[in-house]
Amino acid sequence: MNRSWIYIMVGALFEVCWVIGFKHADDWVTWLGTAISVLISFTLIIIASTKLPVGTVYAVFTGLGTGGTVLAEMILFDEPVKVAKLLLIALLLAGVLGLKLVGGSSDSKEVAH
Amino acid sequence: MAWISLILAGMFEVVGVLGMNRIKRDNNAQAYLLFSSGIILSFICLSFAMKSLPMGTAYAIWTGIGTVGGALVGMFFFGESKEWRRILFIAMVLAAAVGLKLIS
Repeated sequence: MNRSWIYIMVGALFEVCWVIGFKHADDWVTWLGTAISVLISFTLIIIASTKLPVGTVYAVFTGLGTGGTVLAEMILFDEPVKVAKLLLIALLLAGVLGLKLVGGSSDSKEVAH
Repeated sequence: MAWISLILAGMFEVVGVLGMNRIKRDNNAQAYLLFSSGIILSFICLSFAMKSLPMGTAYAIWTGIGTVGGALVGMFFFGESKEWRRILFIAMVLAAAVGLKLIS
């Protein structure tokens, strides 16, 4: 497998970590961990997008980040599972992925190069 | 209040992304200032919104507003394509965000 895809997946894991931190961090240790996770995830996404089209990298990253965050809050933090909420989040994600992948933005011009 | 903070977070994300594009083009101090202030303000607002909203909902809407905002800015200020599929996806994100607000 292309190394860039591994960067994207590890980056998405750290993405979920900093999202959890934004909600649950409450002392300097956890905030430091959150800040480090932000740096790692952004570094990995930037490295991945030097090798792969930016629109694709961003779309996969966002998809994994959104899915991971929703799963994490249900599994780790006992958030109630509401079908309507999950469907709406899926609709929102479909819209974001569509926008990123359909082209017409400056990102996708880069893809065409 | 959490929802207003979340919408602001999405808008500041767009500012940060504009800064990122400026860094690519001009690479000057102003571009870095735009990027860093946009991202930092966005994170502060997102973090505040998440104190009372579910994490997954807040994250999805933050990303959605950032992406839609970026596409709208591109369409209206940088002459990007306004083709029907892009409008449809924007409408999907906004409809989903409104739906999430209504059921929360």
